[in-house]
Amino acid sequence: MSEIEPTEQTQTKTDAGSAQPLQTTSGESEEQLHEEWIDYRFDGETKLAVETLDVHYGDDHALKDVSMEIPEKSVTALIGPSGCGKSTYLRCLNRMNDRIKSARVDGSVQLDGEEIYQDGVDLVELRKRVGMVFQSPNPFPKSIRENISYGPRKHGDIDTSLLARLSGRSDEEAEERLVKRSLKQAALWDEVNERLDDNALGLSGGQQQRLCIARALATDPEVLLMDEPASALDPIATSKIEELIHELSREYTVVIVTHNMQQAERISDQTAVFLTGGKLVEYGDTDQIFESPRSQRVEDYINGKFG
Amino acid sequence: MAGATRSTLANQETSGTDLAAAAAIGLSTILFVLSVASLAEQLSITGSISGVPTVTLLGGLLVLLGGTVASFGVSSRLGYVETNADHSAGLIAAVAAGIPWFLIGGGFASETLGLGAVAGLAVGVLIGGTAFAATAFPREDVGSTVPIGALSIVTGLVFLTSVLGPEWVWDLGWEQTASLTAEFVIPVLTLLNAMYAGWAAAKAYGGFGARGRHVGAYVLVYLNALSIVAFLFVLVAFTVVRGIPGLLTGAEFGWGVGPGTTVGVGGFGFTLSLPFSVPFVMNGVALMNDFQGVLPAIVGTIWLVVGAVLFAVPLGIGAAIFLTEYAEQGPFTQVVEIATNGLWSTPSIVFGLFGFAFLIPRFGNSKSLLAGMLTLGFMLLPLVLITSREAMISVPDEYRDASAALGVSKWQTIQSVVLPAALPGVVTGVILGVGRIAGETAPILLTMAGGTFVPGSQTADVIGGFEFIASPPFVTNPELLQATSALPYQLFALITAGVGLGENVANPEEFRWATALILLVVVLSFYAVGIATRYYFRRKLSYE
Amino acid sequence: MSFITTLIKRGRSRLREVARRQGRRARDFVDETESEALAVVTVVALSLVAALVGFLLVSALTVVPLATFVVATVYGWFRHQEVTARVLTLTTTVSTLLILGLIIVFIFLESIPIVRYESATVFGVTVPGLRLFVETRWDAVSDPVRFSMVPMIHGTVMVTLIATAVAAPLGVSAALFLSEIAPAPVREVVKPGVEILAGIPSIVYGFIGFTILSPWASDQFRLNGQGTYLFVGIVVGLMALPTVVSVAEDALSSVPESIKSGSLAVGTTDWQTMTSITLPAAFSGVSAAVLLGVGRAIGETMAATVMLKGVPRLTDPLYNVFYGQETLTSIIARNYGDADGLQMDALFIAGVILFVTVLFISIGSQYIEWRMRRQFGGDV
Repeated sequence: MSEIEPTEQTQTKTDAGSAQPLQTTSGESEEQLHEEWIDYRFDGETKLAVETLDVHYGDDHALKDVSMEIPEKSVTALIGPSGCGKSTYLRCLNRMNDRIKSARVDGSVQLDGEEIYQDGVDLVELRKRVGMVFQSPNPFPKSIRENISYGPRKHGDIDTSLLARLSGRSDEEAEERLVKRSLKQAALWDEVNERLDDNALGLSGGQQQRLCIARALATDPEVLLMDEPASALDPIATSKIEELIHELSREYTVVIVTHNMQQAERISDQTAVFLTGGKLVEYGDTDQIFESPRSQRVEDYINGKFG
Repeated sequence: MAGATRSTLANQETSGTDLAAAAAIGLSTILFVLSVASLAEQLSITGSISGVPTVTLLGGLLVLLGGTVASFGVSSRLGYVETNADHSAGLIAAVAAGIPWFLIGGGFASETLGLGAVAGLAVGVLIGGTAFAATAFPREDVGSTVPIGALSIVTGLVFLTSVLGPEWVWDLGWEQTASLTAEFVIPVLTLLNAMYAGWAAAKAYGGFGARGRHVGAYVLVYLNALSIVAFLFVLVAFTVVRGIPGLLTGAEFGWGVGPGTTVGVGGFGFTLSLPFSVPFVMNGVALMNDFQGVLPAIVGTIWLVVGAVLFAVPLGIGAAIFLTEYAEQGPFTQVVEIATNGLWSTPSIVFGLFGFAFLIPRFGNSKSLLAGMLTLGFMLLPLVLITSREAMISVPDEYRDASAALGVSKWQTIQSVVLPAALPGVVTGVILGVGRIAGETAPILLTMAGGTFVPGSQTADVIGGFEFIASPPFVTNPELLQATSALPYQLFALITAGVGLGENVANPEEFRWATALILLVVVLSFYAVGIATRYYFRRKLSYE
Repeated sequence: MSFITTLIKRGRSRLREVARRQGRRARDFVDETESEALAVVTVVALSLVAALVGFLLVSALTVVPLATFVVATVYGWFRHQEVTARVLTLTTTVSTLLILGLIIVFIFLESIPIVRYESATVFGVTVPGLRLFVETRWDAVSDPVRFSMVPMIHGTVMVTLIATAVAAPLGVSAALFLSEIAPAPVREVVKPGVEILAGIPSIVYGFIGFTILSPWASDQFRLNGQGTYLFVGIVVGLMALPTVVSVAEDALSSVPESIKSGSLAVGTTDWQTMTSITLPAAFSGVSAAVLLGVGRAIGETMAATVMLKGVPRLTDPLYNVFYGQETLTSIIARNYGDADGLQMDALFIAGVILFVTVLFISIGSQYIEWRMRRQFGGDV
C-alpha cells in the first residue's frame, strides 16, 4: 500500500494540472476562487442548507464535497452534463438514495435548520415535506382520483374507507376538493375532470407527468424536487410544465434538475452548475451564471463547448 | 444535537413508555418460545418451571402481557403517552380481533353453557361483533390494543383459574373419535395470543399510525421468515443427528481398513486401500455381512440420474434452442409453452402411471432401471426446457445481431454466442432439476422398484452390462432391464415394511434414519452444487 | 349464439392464415435448401418416425430405423450442419409435445374399462363413469366390487385446503420479505434456504411425519390409529411453500421500481407501499403462485402415502380433519403392487383426475400471468 499511495497522489495532481487548466475568465486560480464561486448570497430565508455532502456508490465517488444553500419559494436549477451527480444530489434532499443499497452519504443536509441525516429521522415525515417528481412519469396503476388522494389517504388525512363511511366520518367532500385543487394547480383539471375514475395509465405522457406533479402537490409539501421532469415530453407538454413550475415557485421551494440549459435559464431564479466528477463548480443568480459565469469551464459548458 | 432542540423530523428520545411497549414485545417472544417448546414436548404442561406450575406461569404471563398492551393503548388515548394514532385501527385489525372473540363467545355459549349450536352462533356473533366494533370505531391506540389485550387477559385467567387445566380434555363426540387435550390446546392458545399481543405491542412501539402499522407488519413478516429458516435448520439437523449412528455403524478409520483395489505395476501387485471403511455406504445386504448397507441403492440412484440427464438435457436444450432462436413467436410456441408448463406441474405419480403403462410393456414387461431412467427423464425435461429457455431469452439480442452482422450463420451464432452466454443459467437449472428428481419416489415406485433389501451382488453395473447379440435389437443390457433399487424407494420400502425389518438388520430404526440421511445428503449436495454454481457465475459476470 | 359463431369463424380464419404462413415457410425452406441436405433431413425425419412407430408397436426391429436415424444425423451434422441442427432442434420440440400427448393417450386409454364398469343409469340414460362419483364405496375384494373415487377426492380436497391455508399466507409473506424487505445479506441466506426446502425429498418429509408427527398427533388428539389429514395437510403445505415463494417473488420484483419509489416519495411507509402499490400491481402473479402451490399440493404423493391410514372411506363427520384416509395420489402409490384388472384401471382413473385438475390449474395460472404481463405492457 505504501508504495502505491504516492503514485496515486502524483497522478491526481497531473490530472488536475493538464486536463483542467486552472483558469478563470479573469485569469485567477480555480482553487482560490472556488469558494467564492459557490458562495452565493441571496435575500430571503434559507430552506435547505447542504454542507460538505459526499456520496459514494460502492467504490464510485458520485458527489464530492458539495455545500450550497437553497432559498425558499424560488426555483433552483441544477445543471450539468450527464453523470455529474446532479440527480444524485437531488435524491439526497429527500433521502431517496436510501433505496439504493450501495449508496453511502456523508455530510449534512438541513431542512429549516433540522438535520435530515441524523438517527431516528422519520422518512415519512421528511418526504411529506419534501415531495418529488421523477424523470419519467410514474403514475400508479389506479384511477386518476386515487393517484391524487393516495398520499393524503396514507397519511390519514383523508379516509373514505368502508369503516369511515360506517362511522359517518368519511372525507369524500374533502377528497373531491383536494383532487380538484391539485389537478388545477398542475394545470390538468380541464383535461381530465370528466374522467377522474379512469385508469391513470390511459393518459398521455405529458398528462401523466402533470398528474405526478399533482400527486406530489396533494400532500402539500414545502419543497418540490423535480428530476428532469420534462425530458420525456414533447415541446408543448414541456412548455406547460415550465409555466407550471413558474407558478409553483410562489408557494413552494422548487429544486429542478435539467440538462436543458435554455429551460434552466427560462424558469429558474438561481442556478447551480455541476461538472463531471460530482463537483459543484458555480452557484449563483441564473442571470449571472448565464451572462457572466466566473469559471472558464462553466462558460465553456454553457456555450456548448462540452457536455 | 437531538436532545437540544425538539425536532419535528426526528423523534429519538427513548421514554419509559416506549420501554413498556418493548417489554410487551419481549414478553410475547418469551411466550412464543415457551409454547413452541411445549408443542415440541420439551416443556411439560403438567410439570413446573422453577417451582411454578407451567400452566399457572403461562396464564400469569398472558395476563401481564394483555394488561401491558391494553394499558399502553389506554394511556395513549388519555394523552399520557405521545403517539400518532389514526382515527381507526382499520378493517384488517377489526376482523383479526373479531374472529377469536367470535370463537370464544360461540364456544363458551354452546359448549360450556351447553346452549346448543344456534345459541352458540348467536352469542359468538354478538361477542365477535362487539370486538369488531371495539377495534374499528375507537381511536387507533385503543382499538388496536384493548380487544387484543383483553383476549390475552381472558386466556390467562382461564389458565390461572384451572378452567382449562393440565388435565382438561374435550371429546369432540365424533363418530371417529377425537379429543382436544390440554397438552395441545394450552400451547396453541398461548402461541396465538403471543402473536396477537406481539403484533399489537409492535404497533404501539411504532407509535401507532402508519409507522406503527409498519412496525407491526414487519414483526410478523420477519417472524415468518425466521420460522421458515429455523424449520429448515431443525429438519436437517434432526435427520443428521438421528442418522449419524446408523451411518457410522461399524465404520473404521485408519490405514488399510477400507476396500482396496490391486494395481499391477511391472509384475508387482500393489493393493491400494482407502483409509476409512463405512459399511453402510459400501455394503449391500447379505447374510454374511457384519454390517448391512445401502450401496446398491446409492449406485441405483446415480445411474438413474445419469440416465435421466442423458435423455432430458439434449432434448430440453434442443427444444429451447428451437423455440428461442428458430421458431416464429406465435400459436406454435404458445402451445409448446403451455404444454411444457403443464408437464412441469403434472404430479410425479402420474409420470409413474405413464411409465407403467407405456414403458414397462416395451422393456420386457418387467420393472427396470431403463424404465425408471426414462420416466425421470420425462419429469426432468420440462425443467431443463424452462430454465434453458429463460437463460437463452435473457441473452441480449445485441449479441446475436453483432454476430449476424459479421456474416456468421445462424447455427454458428447459436453455438458460439448464444449457448456460451446462456450456459450458466442452463447448468444451474439442470443441477437443481437433477436434485429434484434424485429424491423422487413416486415415479420409480411404478417403474423400477426393486426389493426392500438389495444384496450387494445386485449393484448395477451398467457399463459392464452391454452385450451384443445376433438377432434384433442386436444390443442388450440386462443390467438396464432388471429392477434395481434407489435411495428414495429404499426409504419408502423401509417405512412400509414395518415389523420384520429386524431379521435383516440389527437396528432397523437406525438403519432407516441413516438411509434418510444418505438420501438427504445426496439430494442436497446437488442443490449445494447448483446454488454454488450460480454464485460462481454471478460473481464472474459481475466482475468482468 | 351469433357471438360464438363469429368467434369460431374468426378462429378458423386465423388458423387458416397461420397454416398458410407455415406452408409458405415450409416451401421457402425447401426452395432454399440444397437438395442433398434436404434428402438427409428427410431420411432423418422418416427414420425417426419409423422408430417411434416401431417402439409404439413393441417391435424388436425398432433398432433398424433408430440406427438409420443416428447414421443420417451424424452424416448430416458433418456435411450440412446448419440444416441438420435446425431439424434436430425442431425434433426435440416435437418430442416434448409428443410426451405430453402420449401421457394423455396412455393414462386415458388405461382408464376406459373402469369408466365402462362404473356406469350408472339416470332417468334411463346410461352415463359412463357416473358411479365413480356418486357412490362412496371402494372395495376391490368383496362383491359387489366398487371403485368410487369420492373418498379419495374428499381426502385430496381436505389435504389441499389445509396445505393452501399453510402455504398461501406464509408463502406470500416470505415472498414479500425476500423481494421487498430483506437486507441483501439476509436475503442471501433465506433464498437458498427456501430453495433447499424445495429440494428435500418428499419421502424424507413423509418419513419424519410418519415417525414423529403421526404418533404425536395420535397421542395429542386421542385418536384410533395414526394418520390425520391435518398433519398431512400441514406437511404438504410446507412442501408447496417454496413453489409459492419463488413464483410470487418473481411477480413482486417485476413491479417497476419507479412506481414503488413514486409511492415512497409522497411519504408512505414501506409497508404501505407494499400493500397499496406492490401487492395490488402484482396481484395476478401472486395468485398464479398460489394456484401453482395448490397444484403441487394436489399432486404430492409420498408424504401422503406413508402418513395416511390407507383405508379409502370418508371421514366421519366429513370435516373431521383428525383422521386421514386416502388421497388420489396415495391410493395409486399404495395399491399399484397388488392391483390388476379393474383395480389397476381404477388407479388410472385417479391418475386422470389428478392430471386433468392440475393441467387446468397450470393453464389457469399461465393465463393469469399472461394477463399481468399485458397489463404492464412489457414482454417478460
